[in-house]
Amino acid sequence: MKRNKNRLMKRIGWILFLCAIGFFGLQMGYLLIQDRYQVEYIDNRLFYIINIFCVICLSLAILLLLKLTKRFKLIGTIVVGIFMIIQIVLLVDSDRKINNITSVSPNFKHVFSIKENRDSGESFYYRSYYGILARPKESLPYEIAEDYKVEWLAKDVAAFTYETAENTIQQFIATYGDRGGGIAYYYVGAEMQGVWQGENVEVISDPDGITVTENGRSELFEWENIHQFGTLAIVLKKNNEAAWTISLDDNFVVHSDALEDKVGNIRLYKATMEKNQPIKLQYQASY
Amino acid sequence: MKNVILVLSGFMIAGLIIGTYFYHNQASATLPQPNQPNDLQENTTLPDEQEQPQPEPLQPVNNDTITYTLQNDELNITFNNGNDWVKVPIEKDQLFEGEYNGNKQELIENSYMLTENRVAFIYSDGVDLEGKRIRLIYSSDQGITWKESVVIEPFPPMRFRKVDFLNDQFGYAIISGDRTMSQEYSRAFITHDGGETWEATAESPTTRLIAFGGFVDETTGFLSYGTINPEEPDVYVTQDSGETWNEAVFNMPVKYNRVFVQAEVPVKEEDHLVVLVNQGPNGDYKGGLVKGEFISEDNGLTWNFSAEVQPNETE
Repeated sequence: MKRNKNRLMKRIGWILFLCAIGFFGLQMGYLLIQDRYQVEYIDNRLFYIINIFCVICLSLAILLLLKLTKRFKLIGTIVVGIFMIIQIVLLVDSDRKINNITSVSPNFKHVFSIKENRDSGESFYYRSYYGILARPKESLPYEIAEDYKVEWLAKDVAAFTYETAENTIQQFIATYGDRGGGIAYYYVGAEMQGVWQGENVEVISDPDGITVTENGRSELFEWENIHQFGTLAIVLKKNNEAAWTISLDDNFVVHSDALEDKVGNIRLYKATMEKNQPIKLQYQASY
Repeated sequence: MKNVILVLSGFMIAGLIIGTYFYHNQASATLPQPNQPNDLQENTTLPDEQEQPQPEPLQPVNNDTITYTLQNDELNITFNNGNDWVKVPIEKDQLFEGEYNGNKQELIENSYMLTENRVAFIYSDGVDLEGKRIRLIYSSDQGITWKESVVIEPFPPMRFRKVDFLNDQFGYAIISGDRTMSQEYSRAFITHDGGETWEATAESPTTRLIAFGGFVDETTGFLSYGTINPEEPDVYVTQDSGETWNEAVFNMPVKYNRVFVQAEVPVKEEDHLVVLVNQGPNGDYKGGLVKGEFISEDNGLTWNFSAEVQPNETE
């Protein structure tokens, strides 16, 4: 019985030791490639967290695999303790300089990432690769004030709503997919032409622009105030401030033939800092 | 085994510590740099761009002893292979005014003259169409002093431009401008006082696009027309310093009809004149580069075929 337990412990020890080597390899590999491929961890704090995990695995592995003297155990504990404290201090320090905003998509396939330099106020949208790596894609046009939120409108559309330093509300939409064949660019506003209805709201997309009617109050957004992100979402702006985001749902089908009936739903999401849910809209008729 | 594990563990912890050191310094020192610049980025990089670029060392455009360079947006000339440079007091863009499609790395062919005793550059200045004039800047002391003269004003935006001096006093300029489709205004000007004053020759008798032109002596000059789809040489000759222009006659052998179509600039050889007639832009006779040599015994009025000239012989 005791021998069995010992063997199990040894086995766990070896697994932990291999995990530690794996984490170590990941970190060193990252340091080697980050410059050449201009990639970063999707969240800057990940580096410290992986370090901590690596050392935890390593310590447990040594405890399980080796019989150590008391003196050695003491020295080991001190080394590991100092190491952990340093990592945590550096993690906090890093977080003080760069604010990482990350959100994982509902299907765990995409990671939305924005890094904000707290000193300069600049923010960059990062495109994720292999889940944990990311490359800077573009910078946000406005400085993020304290308040922001991320909402996934579809499994591949993330809406980032934030308040700017000038007290306006802006939306940045990250898209990770396509509703056509992925071959051609198309205009979301044109694809959703017609009348759409949802709970207490109606959206009409016609040649003049997009009209949003909420609880009986209509507002027309002309095409020049409508900004498309990727091929999945548009932001309707009023007075240089985001008002609504409209995104194409997962079931939306882009036809090259505009006369065909619309298939699928669209989603309307209000730009507000209050907690709100996107509204699902059904196609009603052509305008 | 125990030692292997311990050494490996020590190595890993050391690696992580060193890695953390590098990572932390880097992460806190560098801002994320996006691949695509945008407004924010442009603003932040502006101060760098405003810094004056370091002037690059001047490199002559070719290996001639007397040559020039257009580096640093200015025209510099040298008389000794690039050891010493003289700056020409002219704005680079003025040398390329008018119809010009190029990268402004080299001067327009024939629009300048660079010899030991005389350098001259033809250019255009003036802001609006009516105010545009054609000027010449020249120096006869290797760039120590410069003189400027007006060839003609006003003149529409230039296309063809050529300036040359046959001796210290006599020179000519041939310019064309105001092109619409394949028609334009072209005219030759001559000077008898080294470029100080210019007089216009008689109106050119055609509005076709000028291809070549030049004077062989103070009285005899040629204008050759047809650049797009010439069908036969179209040459006008003057034998009285440009008072009148007369059409020259080419006695073209039937075999070379529509083959040799564009006359170049005649040159004097012994007691007669020789001109090469090329095949124009679309010629394909024997590869398209063979030219026909014509000879005139009556100072340019009539021309008779003499021989085919291989392209390498014309170099």
